[in-house]
Amino acid sequence: MNTKITRREAGALVGAALTGAFVPGAARAQGRQIVIGGLYPLSGANAQIGVDAKHAYDTALDVINNKHDLDLPLAKTEGLPNLGGAKLAMTFADHQSDPQKGRAEAERLITQDKVVALIGTYQSAVANTASVSAERYSVPFLGADTSSPTLNKRGLKFFFRAAPHDEFFTQTMFDFFDEMKKKGKPVESIALFYEDTIFGADSSTVQRKLAKEKGIKIVADIKYRSNSPSLTAEVQQLKAANAQVLMPSSYTTDAILLMKTMAELGYKPPAIVAQDAGFSEQTLFNAIGAAGEGVMTRSTFSLDLGQKKPSVGKVNELFKARSGKDLNDLTARQFTAAMVMADAINRSKTGEPQAIRDALAATELPGDQTIMPWRRVKFDDTGQNNDCTPVLLQRRGDKYVTVFPAEYAVADVAWS
Amino acid sequence: MANAATIAQILMSGLLMGLIYALIAAGLSLIFGLMDVVNFAHGEFLMTAMYATFGLVVLLSLDPLVLSPIVAAIMFVVGAFCYRVIIVHAMCARTNVGMVQVFATFGLAIVIRGLAQFVFTPDYRSIPKSWLGGQTFSIFGVYMPAPQLAGALASLLAFGALWLLMKRTDFGKALEATREDAGAVGLVGIDRNRVFAMGWGLGAALVGLAGAILSIFYYIHPDVGGPFALIAYVTVALGGFGSVFGALAAGVIVGIVEAISATVLQPSMKAIGIYAVYLLVVFLRPRGLFGH
Amino acid sequence: MASAFETRRRNQLIIAAAVVAVMIALPLGVKDVYVQNILVLTVMYAALSQAWNILSGYCGQISLGHALYFGIGAYASTLLFVKFGIIPWFGMAAGGIFAAAIALLVGWPCFRLGGHYFTIATIVLAEIGLILFLNWSYAGEASGLQIPVSGDSWLTFTFLRSKLPYYYFALGLAAVVWLVTYFIEDSKWGYYWRAVRENTMAAQSLGVQVFRSKMAAAALSAFFTAIGGSFYAQFVSYIDPDSVMVFQFSLLMALPAVIGGIGTLWGPPLGAAILIPFTELTRSYMGGGGKGTDLIFYGAVIMIIALARPEGLLSLVTRTRHAPP
Repeated sequence: MNTKITRREAGALVGAALTGAFVPGAARAQGRQIVIGGLYPLSGANAQIGVDAKHAYDTALDVINNKHDLDLPLAKTEGLPNLGGAKLAMTFADHQSDPQKGRAEAERLITQDKVVALIGTYQSAVANTASVSAERYSVPFLGADTSSPTLNKRGLKFFFRAAPHDEFFTQTMFDFFDEMKKKGKPVESIALFYEDTIFGADSSTVQRKLAKEKGIKIVADIKYRSNSPSLTAEVQQLKAANAQVLMPSSYTTDAILLMKTMAELGYKPPAIVAQDAGFSEQTLFNAIGAAGEGVMTRSTFSLDLGQKKPSVGKVNELFKARSGKDLNDLTARQFTAAMVMADAINRSKTGEPQAIRDALAATELPGDQTIMPWRRVKFDDTGQNNDCTPVLLQRRGDKYVTVFPAEYAVADVAWS
Repeated sequence: MANAATIAQILMSGLLMGLIYALIAAGLSLIFGLMDVVNFAHGEFLMTAMYATFGLVVLLSLDPLVLSPIVAAIMFVVGAFCYRVIIVHAMCARTNVGMVQVFATFGLAIVIRGLAQFVFTPDYRSIPKSWLGGQTFSIFGVYMPAPQLAGALASLLAFGALWLLMKRTDFGKALEATREDAGAVGLVGIDRNRVFAMGWGLGAALVGLAGAILSIFYYIHPDVGGPFALIAYVTVALGGFGSVFGALAAGVIVGIVEAISATVLQPSMKAIGIYAVYLLVVFLRPRGLFGH
Repeated sequence: MASAFETRRRNQLIIAAAVVAVMIALPLGVKDVYVQNILVLTVMYAALSQAWNILSGYCGQISLGHALYFGIGAYASTLLFVKFGIIPWFGMAAGGIFAAAIALLVGWPCFRLGGHYFTIATIVLAEIGLILFLNWSYAGEASGLQIPVSGDSWLTFTFLRSKLPYYYFALGLAAVVWLVTYFIEDSKWGYYWRAVRENTMAAQSLGVQVFRSKMAAAALSAFFTAIGGSFYAQFVSYIDPDSVMVFQFSLLMALPAVIGGIGTLWGPPLGAAILIPFTELTRSYMGGGGKGTDLIFYGAVIMIIALARPEGLLSLVTRTRHAPP
């Protein structure tokens, strides 16, 4: 990166400083807006994700910009106190699930809309290119909900991720299996069922690795084509393998088709431990009804945390008023990312990208000041937060309850 | 893993799904055979039918099976409308007729998808309660899900009805005649435009029937038509453009090949089986299995 | 004295030179990075569509599977660079040659197929390519490949922030493909193909020569498409099968030619100049709502152009389309 300042740039800096000195500070801050950019799929197959994400972010902006009696950073104030009460705003761009378009939009947001930070992107492939762009423009990029483990291992200085990635999630699943083993109910065999996307690949790689370490037999390792019209032959293979635990890594469409096809073929595995995604969507359970009972999934979030943390329930009410749905794993992560970002912007005191980046790197947010079951938010030097414990949820009736780890569980797991 | 029960299940599932693919492809084949137009919005017609079914279920609380004739009728109107308003202009083109149809219908497909997203939001919908949903029959350990059975049956009935229509009714003969020589039929008093519009309507009605039944066990979403459309195009080409019954045979072949490929190859590569069969067939028979 | 035909041909070159001069100067006035990005994409699609036009416009074999060659180019140069350290300039050439070879291989049986069967075969072949790459672990499967960019370098054809080098390369590529098309128009092949399009009977008597010329067209078309793919990989520095080998890409390569005027020299560039900015701007400024309004608008415009002006928008500019004698 070029650190020498040209004469022209120095002149510009001096000019800006002089202007700043002569314009009254209060007049500048009043009505001042800090804008961050949100990159999400807003058309195409994943458009609903983008729509829900917007609701999550709008909820966060509401909490930050207005007075709320919540134990969350910046909730009890209006706007950002260290920046003279400046309001936080977000402008969204549609990346259409394409890495090239995501990059184009990131550049547009940075150079035209002058956003001071970027949040996004749901798809890891888009996060890949967009975060590289952000790096080149020295703008911080917070991956809100992208779980590919490779994203923080690229040596980028401006990339941060508060939420867990697939290695954390899968580790939690296998920790749970260890726990069951201790209780005399060991897991002998698992079936991996994953789609042919980055998500499926990352998820299954870690699952395979951990299963090998723990000596758990993989009786079926099925990679299927996402959005297939039919999954009958694939499910037939699962049925024939007859694993003790089925571990699917599927988005909503395939999750719905999987569960329905399983019912149609008369296949019910003793347990299902899913890698979230489709399995965290209410839409799935609307579609399959009672067949969803007992399904387990990893998650970063659970509504029943509200029993121990009042802020969870209140934030959920705010979110539900906008979207008509409860918070789920994805939207909770998005909300939290916005809160982390706002907290860092506040601490940056200037609202400039480099300062925000440094503030992010210095983040030390205690877990109980978030709506998540995390110990805290603190980024390591790769930009990853390592204190974000995932939880395991199990479907009971028409909602998910937390069953693992013990410190967050509200119910005992139903496990045979 | 390759025991008799598994093989029987795979073949049965492939057959049932294949008949449904055939039903989806039938409309496409009919339209093509009639006027040499490949409808690139066929997948979106399927999606529209599924949303129509969903909407009617919500409004009238009737079962999708009961609603399927109504959906077919709605799609008939949609198809005829598309012909009258859009396609008739595409065919007036003096140059590039092939490309014009492709891209006019491609544009139409995008518009329909955008409309679906606008009206219904991009959320995934499904019909949770229906007579057949979730029901499955098991004979000798081979499972036959009720919705797919219904789809397969509907497909056979539809093809049967189509055969009767083509061979025994005046309209069917007019369709055949127009297909043989669209220019000349005017001389015998057949209004070419009317026949084409009816042809489009009928083609859309067929895919409407498929959509209504699919909505029983499939999710509904603005992009749901894509994968089905691709299979439909390959099916029609495999069977031979212009042969509606070629579409039936090809659909069954595609369904079974898909199921076998998913078992023999890695499931994520199962489509290669279908594509390989298509390429093999057309290299040996350049007009597909039964093409004219 | 030059015939009307020769004058027309010379005028084409003059117009081309003028256009290129304007395009070269354009970035001096356009500083906005986002707009520069649109320019790069526009010129890239002009090149790609022109390459497609050679096979599908002039030669009449409508391919909707050109994403296969695009992807082959992208992956070939990227694999060679990432795995073996071979600089993209050689990688591009290798990718182009490999794509041309594949085109010949599949062309040989496919050219026997009539119209729609051929088109479906091209779609199917591209899908097979997509599935193979999605399942090929050496090439990263769905995770794709990342091209490491450490600084600005013409040697490795990677640049951190500047779009201009990419723009000029793409412009150069578009100009080259245009020139190739220009020469083909007035060549033996051009005559064969016009004969085939306008009179199949005459074409049948030309038999072998027609077949050979089709193969050559396929190879040329694939070669340039693959170079475009390599370029794209360098431009984005990240490729995965879903971004370089999907059906939508094949359609997008054909669309500018269709909108501008298929089988014409200026159709693809004109179509690209209209379509690409339109696509980008509707997505950026109408897409943020999640309501699909940008799709409705975009689809409607494509439909209207396809129906109202099937010869392409070029016909609005040129009064008549003369085929050379």
